[in-house]
Amino acid sequence: MESIQPYVVFQIGNIGITDTVTSTWVIMALIVGLTVALERWQPALLEWVIDFLNDLLSDVMGRAVGPYLPFLGTLAIFIAAANTFSAVPFITAPTRDISTPLALALIVFFSVHYFGIREKGTWRYIKDMATPIFTLPLEIIGQLSRTLALTLRLFGNIISGEIVVAVIFTLAPLFVPITMTGFGLFTGILQAFIFTALASVYIAAGAEVSEDTHRKTSPSKT
Amino acid sequence: MENLDSQTIITLATIIIAGVGIVFGTALPAIVEGRAAVKALEGIARQPEAAGPLRTTLLIAMALLESTAIYVLLVILILLFANPLLDRFFP
Repeated sequence: MESIQPYVVFQIGNIGITDTVTSTWVIMALIVGLTVALERWQPALLEWVIDFLNDLLSDVMGRAVGPYLPFLGTLAIFIAAANTFSAVPFITAPTRDISTPLALALIVFFSVHYFGIREKGTWRYIKDMATPIFTLPLEIIGQLSRTLALTLRLFGNIISGEIVVAVIFTLAPLFVPITMTGFGLFTGILQAFIFTALASVYIAAGAEVSEDTHRKTSPSKT
Repeated sequence: MENLDSQTIITLATIIIAGVGIVFGTALPAIVEGRAAVKALEGIARQPEAAGPLRTTLLIAMALLESTAIYVLLVILILLFANPLLDRFFP
């Protein structure tokens, strides 16, 4: 099925620019433009969005989001916008190409280490990760597999929604696919929340300042 | 069965496996997610003030459970639309 693969729209040099990359640029421009316009004319709405994200992610992390809010909020807003664009005709959602969720998951993967090292220092972070030394391989496997799981979860949800819409479109093209598109919108927003929530859980687990090793405490659920 | 060529057999097997696989791959995660939802609802009924943390935890747990169904779906999509066996044996 050729419609799963993104197609090349135009070329810069010998790099093919696919339709998902183009729609990513369109979405980025829209978000930036909307933010600038809101800041000029309706700053209260912008503050409401930031407050909403702050409360939501603080609930998930179990403590104040604080310095992680810019990163996590950007993730949430971008993924929600990208998934919403799957309902717009003639625009391909960026998240239906597996490269976009993979890039986002890799950003989360590296930012977990970045925030962890910034919070605790390099040596302390590595020591915390390998506290009983035999958990180090498990930790590494877990880090890699959850990155893969983040990618496949986002990609699979979006692509399955689009395939269901396509199948129903071949059966009953008039008005009936709208119901599945609405359901796809709901799934897209939910997946944006889940991606961000899992990223914040990973970051909270990585940056969590654990107690000293000789003073065993029960691991707190964050 | 002797008069079928092997390409037809591979296609048939793929279709049958896709049907059976999507049934089990979605039914089992659905059952497990239902159990998780039942437990969370019992917890909310017992302690209504714990509804907020329970809801977010339930959503995250649901997402982790849901991903197994997504794995099955992706494998079956690969089998149906980009079957590696057909490409390998019948280029």
